[in-house]
Amino acid sequence: MQPEKFYYDNKIVRNFGIATVVWGIIGMLVGVIVAIQLYQPAMNMHNQYTTFGRVRPLHTNAVIFAFVGNAIFMGIYYSLQRLMKARMFSDALSKIHFWGWQLIIVSAVITLPLGITTSHEYAELEWPIDILITIVWVVFGINMFGTIIKRRERHIYVAVWFYIATFVTIAVLHIVNSLEIPVSFTKSYMVFAGVQDALVQWWYGHNAVAFFLTTPYLGMMYYFLPKMANRPIYSYKLSILHFWALIFIYIWAGPHHLLYTTLPGWAQSLCVAFSIMLIAPSWGGMINGLLTLRGAWDKVRDDVTLKFMVVGLTAYGMATFEGPMLSLKQVNAIGHFTDWIIAHVHVGALGWNGFLTFAILYWLVPRIYKTELYSKKMASFHFWIGTLGILFYAIPMYWAGFTQGLMLKEFTPEGMLKYPSFLETTMRIIPMYVMRSVGGTLYLAGVIVMAFNLYKTAVQGKLVPNEAAEAMPLEKLNPAASTERWHRRLERKPMLFLVASLVVILIGTFIELMPTLTVASNIPTIASVKPYTPLELQGRDVYIREGCVNCHSQTIRPFRSETERYGEYSKAGEFVYDHPFLWGSKRTGPDLQREGGKYGDSWHYNHLMDPRLMSPGSIMPNYDWLIKQKLDTSGTAAKIKAMQKLGVPYPAGYDKIANQELEKQAKGIADNLAKDHIRVKSNKEIIAVIAYLQRLGTDIKANKTANK
Amino acid sequence: MFRQFTEHIDGNQVYLLFSMFIFLVFFIVVAILLLRLRKQHIDYMSDIPLNDCAEETPNLLKS
Repeated sequence: MQPEKFYYDNKIVRNFGIATVVWGIIGMLVGVIVAIQLYQPAMNMHNQYTTFGRVRPLHTNAVIFAFVGNAIFMGIYYSLQRLMKARMFSDALSKIHFWGWQLIIVSAVITLPLGITTSHEYAELEWPIDILITIVWVVFGINMFGTIIKRRERHIYVAVWFYIATFVTIAVLHIVNSLEIPVSFTKSYMVFAGVQDALVQWWYGHNAVAFFLTTPYLGMMYYFLPKMANRPIYSYKLSILHFWALIFIYIWAGPHHLLYTTLPGWAQSLCVAFSIMLIAPSWGGMINGLLTLRGAWDKVRDDVTLKFMVVGLTAYGMATFEGPMLSLKQVNAIGHFTDWIIAHVHVGALGWNGFLTFAILYWLVPRIYKTELYSKKMASFHFWIGTLGILFYAIPMYWAGFTQGLMLKEFTPEGMLKYPSFLETTMRIIPMYVMRSVGGTLYLAGVIVMAFNLYKTAVQGKLVPNEAAEAMPLEKLNPAASTERWHRRLERKPMLFLVASLVVILIGTFIELMPTLTVASNIPTIASVKPYTPLELQGRDVYIREGCVNCHSQTIRPFRSETERYGEYSKAGEFVYDHPFLWGSKRTGPDLQREGGKYGDSWHYNHLMDPRLMSPGSIMPNYDWLIKQKLDTSGTAAKIKAMQKLGVPYPAGYDKIANQELEKQAKGIADNLAKDHIRVKSNKEIIAVIAYLQRLGTDIKANKTANK
Repeated sequence: MFRQFTEHIDGNQVYLLFSMFIFLVFFIVVAILLLRLRKQHIDYMSDIPLNDCAEETPNLLKS
């Protein structure tokens, strides 16, 4: 048999590499801007399109799906071809994948600042873009499996298993978390409501971290680290064990984002147990990576790619130890909703994802351009300024998290809240916010230096778009004569491997999701909880558009420190008409679940116009455009109809009179404001937002009045 | 620390125990399969990334 000559496609790798660097700089720059807005609200340039609530999702989407996403595809397209000893299945599909993914990112850049959002964290993009993501993901899958099928290497190396698990799990997560009913081209309502919606979202959110930020990077680590250190992975057996354990366990851990909420207690306990167990497979990966460098530590001193790898793996180890610790209820009680979580995710994102990406770029770009790196000194500078940036980012955020978390829980000897004003705790941590933005800027500066270094490297070399390689074609196996063990056989059958991975992730998914989604007794209903009025529903949609959920939670945990501060703790039955749920994950401002009736309409009007009028020192931006903009009521009927389809009990034909009801209620609020000498037309957006805020958490009070 | 589990899962222990049991079985099965793998095969698999058929390139960062 003659060896076959073929060519690796380096051009697609180069394209994804450029996209990684460009979107990385943009995403991190937006991150620095939103970080500064947290102590200088005026940094929104008095513009609704650049205000925190709308731009924070742009930052998270840009760094996760644009920076990390493109880096994943760069790493996979480079390593998969070489591990399979084959060119990518189809150049056309590679191109469609590349441009399709960039189109998704551009759509996000346009729609998120416009306030077009589902409000599901890391899944904010609206339904037409969700469909586009599905198509592009399928294209990627066909291209990947096509390459695996036409391979010249019989056995599938562990890196590719991680890629397969990534593909199949992200597909499942994306589809289930995007189940929504379109109301218009730019608006939809989630199929699930309240607790169920929260469970689905955090099953998705946590596993997006697992299968987008972790498994593809572990796969890349298993390919690139042996290449960089020029030695095989420390233990291949450990890689098999930790692969199966990781994908099995990760899927169960999502609800630890919902501890002390109205999620059924058994689901909370279950996810805590599995979160603790998650340390083992996570550290299995880290240890396997670090021990690959045994006997090669001298290389780490000279080779900047290995330096990035070592710090990246260490950050992974730190983040995956801290994650399980944060899932312990006692720790979570303090850390959740605070900047501790922001520190935690950034150790992972800046350290693990960022540094591994930089290592791969520094290793890969000189190779595909057949040259040397332009400047080792610049790369070394990048390493040190990046490391400093992580420290300057994470330490102030930990400090801020502990400080605020503890202050919010502190009582006086008389049993009163020591800091009854939420704002007082915020003002205490403003210096930490300033330092954090310095840390972020240092990290970004390093990335810009890297971009220049890689550009100069590319200019001094010449891209080898098609890299020649040779390998023997695969011989046909005689199945009858095979005496191979089970796992060895599995390693030869990619489709079977896909099914096996799918089964493993579906076990946890079903046990954890199905009871809450299907058993009614898990969500006790409350008779006095009624659907939102049309005006409140419209106000809620403005609240979603402005991204208020990025700073304000709507769920009160059953702690005395919270019930004293915010009011009665949340009940599952209060959220049954909330499509989507708006519990939030971070309290930069106070919880709003019992906001209704706390203040008068005029207080809200003045507060939204300029928060500092009512709360001096507040870091909330002005929402003065709500006073000027007319509420769009053209979609009210469609919204009511969509809600009816989802089971919200509006009377039949209510959609036809919804706008009349809306106008009546709006006039009432405008008249009420007029009594306080505030002249505003009843058709402005602010009226709807006030209506919604005044409704929040009040139904349960009506229940009490009725019982009396 | 673990009092929360024993206190708050009345009537729901079955979920926890059943889930743990599934994982235990799964883990044991994978571990047994691993122990049965041949060293020769493990060595072959570990070396795959280092034999990628492309022209050998020196560590360009070090030159």
